[in-house]
Amino acid sequence: MVRTWGIWISAILFFFYMTVWTNQTEMALASASVPTGWTLFAILTGLALFNIRKKFPAFPLVNSSSWYVFHVAGGFLAIGIFWLHIGSFWPVGLYERCLAILFYLCTFSGILGLIIQKLFPLRLTQSGAEYIYERIPSEISEIQKNAQDLLLACTRETSRDTLATHYLETLHWFFQRPRFFFSHLFGGEKSAHWIQQRCSNLERFLNAQERGYLRKLFALADVKRKIDLHYALQTVLKSWLIVHLPLAAALMALIVWHIMVVHVYFL
Amino acid sequence: MDEKKFSHNRSSYERPNFPYRCGRGALWHKPCHQGPNLNGTCGGTSECAPSLNGNHWECNRPLSAGGPCGEGPTPQGECFLRHAPCVPKPTLRIYRGRLAILAIGAIFSLICVSWIIDQVQKNYLSFNPGPISSAHIKFVEKEGCSVCHSMHKLGSVSWLQAVLTPANVAAKCEDCHLFGGSAFKAHNADPVKYPKLQDTHCMMCHREHRGDKLHIRQFDAKQCNFCHKEQFDSFSNGHPEFPADYPNSRKDSIKFDHITHLNKYFLDPKFVEHSPETCMGCHQIMQDQIVNPDKYEVVCAKCHDFQIPRKELVLVRLPELDRDRIDRSTVRSACGIPDEDSANNKKEDEDFISISTESPSLVSAYLLNVPENEPEIYSQHLQELILNLAEESTAPLAQLLNDHSPVPIADKMLMGLNPEVLKRAACAWGLNVEYERPAEASFGGWHADLLEVRYTPTGHKDPVAKSWIEFALAVAASETDAEKLKHAIAMRDQMLSSKEGVGGCIKCHAVTQASSEKAEKILSIDWGYKGARNTPYVHYSHKNHLDLLGKGNTCKNCHLINKKADYLSSFDSFDSKKFVSNFYSINRETCVECHAEGQVNQECQLCHSYHFEPGFKKQMLLAEKIP
Repeated sequence: MVRTWGIWISAILFFFYMTVWTNQTEMALASASVPTGWTLFAILTGLALFNIRKKFPAFPLVNSSSWYVFHVAGGFLAIGIFWLHIGSFWPVGLYERCLAILFYLCTFSGILGLIIQKLFPLRLTQSGAEYIYERIPSEISEIQKNAQDLLLACTRETSRDTLATHYLETLHWFFQRPRFFFSHLFGGEKSAHWIQQRCSNLERFLNAQERGYLRKLFALADVKRKIDLHYALQTVLKSWLIVHLPLAAALMALIVWHIMVVHVYFL
Repeated sequence: MDEKKFSHNRSSYERPNFPYRCGRGALWHKPCHQGPNLNGTCGGTSECAPSLNGNHWECNRPLSAGGPCGEGPTPQGECFLRHAPCVPKPTLRIYRGRLAILAIGAIFSLICVSWIIDQVQKNYLSFNPGPISSAHIKFVEKEGCSVCHSMHKLGSVSWLQAVLTPANVAAKCEDCHLFGGSAFKAHNADPVKYPKLQDTHCMMCHREHRGDKLHIRQFDAKQCNFCHKEQFDSFSNGHPEFPADYPNSRKDSIKFDHITHLNKYFLDPKFVEHSPETCMGCHQIMQDQIVNPDKYEVVCAKCHDFQIPRKELVLVRLPELDRDRIDRSTVRSACGIPDEDSANNKKEDEDFISISTESPSLVSAYLLNVPENEPEIYSQHLQELILNLAEESTAPLAQLLNDHSPVPIADKMLMGLNPEVLKRAACAWGLNVEYERPAEASFGGWHADLLEVRYTPTGHKDPVAKSWIEFALAVAASETDAEKLKHAIAMRDQMLSSKEGVGGCIKCHAVTQASSEKAEKILSIDWGYKGARNTPYVHYSHKNHLDLLGKGNTCKNCHLINKKADYLSSFDSFDSKKFVSNFYSINRETCVECHAEGQVNQECQLCHSYHFEPGFKKQMLLAEKIP
């Protein structure tokens, strides 16, 4: 906690220092854009190193949590330095606008990722279950197999196929793969209602023995629902980087071009 | 939750950093426990890779996948349980990496494409940071970016070399722009005069590529305070008071006493019909800052024109002579007068009584270098001159004037002098008689009468009168001989006298002394109206203020007459620094009544200019015009 606050306070102090320094420099009729530009480049390079750090988990390059805090604080610092650098919120040249668009998109995706990382783990914990993302296909397959075994047992024991037929016509679709992705993502209860409705509609057509199997099937569907929730949330938790990282790469590439152009034509 | 679910014998170890995942799992079937190979091929075509134990093969299937199978390996050492291979799918990491590379490639491609398009369309979108201002756009139409950026068009190798070479863009501004001082010193001031001046360059304030309008950094008091020692918040709060003599610190070129004119002459019934109703009756706004009096002919002539011809110049005067030294026969011969008998000549010599009791003119006293009050000394020289004038008319006089002047000026000084008039006057004086002019000289100019040859100025700007005054000032400054200098100064003082000086020019035109010590003796006449003091860093719009406040007597809002000021005494001295204005200094508080916080604009640049005499070079004007 101390380390986290230390990094945040350092970032805030550095931003204030840069703001005052830029103001003083502008007052002295000097150009602050070059020093702020190099500062911004250094910060963005530091942010980009976080991804490289992740590829070398065995090396003692400061723990990942510190890198993460630095990445988040540095990201917000970069926004401020960016505005100091361009002196406004929106540049006028086409290629500089491309650069600004990439910066803003990268920043926006980063902030979105930060929000996701703060909210979704809470919801995953509140679901009461833990599922490893890579094992979700295996979990679904296992539940589907358990459901089918349950139906075979029910059919054998009761000599009735009402439950099995209903499963094939409705619940089989649900057990096949993760469902109700967006409902889970935005915290909806569509999945639970859907299961509830399908099971309660059937209940009156079943005898007491079959109802016992239906309750077991309902319990399996509820587990599947939680797996679907985990799948939806964990997919987004892992996938937002698919947007953030390429944007960051494109941004860094265009920054290198920008530095070249500035050095050829201006400095 | 089943905590044993992840025990080593119930589940395999997940490796999320692997690039591929099982194809069956991707289709939501149970993935095989072996997973795909690193190269993306299926690794689960068999349940295990049997190992040779002694001379028989053993099943290696891990406990997490169900443990050794009942069938066991084939005799050839192959797994008995074989499956159809799956098509492994890339993990999110792979997609992420590919997209990142694609994004970098896209940026590179975009730069290349826009570079190629730039070569054709000349828009230079790939590196143009913004549109050029309308002030500069026409200069880049033909030559493009290389007008300001020398590295442009030098080729890709040079372009890359330029990354490490300083690009002195500001130096290119000097191709067109010109200043009164150094372009790269603060305020374009003279670095010799102000050695502590900071180095500056154009881009410190002027930012190009910011759109149609040239972006100029806005100045406020804080920015000015950064360099200037006297610091303040704004014009209304802390700005230094104007100097005590502002803006009338320099002696006026025209001696015009506002106090006597306003309080005396303009009220006099004789002149009241010519009196202006307001200040604008005499003054007119030339430019924003410059308010000059109108022409002499418009403003002054009605009251002062008649005074000019009254102030005549006496060129030569027949003075009292101690005795007659002129050979009268020579005079008569030169003048074409029949010679009389010698007895009479003799009698004239013996009974000589000078017809004049005057002293010679100061002009002739200087030219002949004789004391004007000692007839014994000047008589001979003057009679020689008279004889010469009788013989050669203006020639000897012109010769004398040119001999005393640094530059030949006699033609101008004697312009309009009729040689016959001079000759006849000299002839008369040579015979010791008064010259009787044939007619009244009513048109001014040169004329002779009785004992004098005089010049009557014809009016304002009379060139002969001006040349005589300038001659008197020049010789008084250049003479080295003490005796001649005394005569030169006497002549000069007469010329500079408002009562006796030719034309009375000095009644209005100020005489000033050169400021340098070496040239302190040199006096000059301010013939023209010099106007306001040259203040290159300060500007003020009289027009805007008068339009807003009214053209009546609103001048008095700021220009208050100081009735106690001894204005005319300033002109007793030739020192231009010794000056008492007719007016009080402008009071800053008067300006602050409007230019204050929350009222009218009070930015520094409203009254102050940064640059010193900015201009353009001819080269800029040769640029092709936009059709």
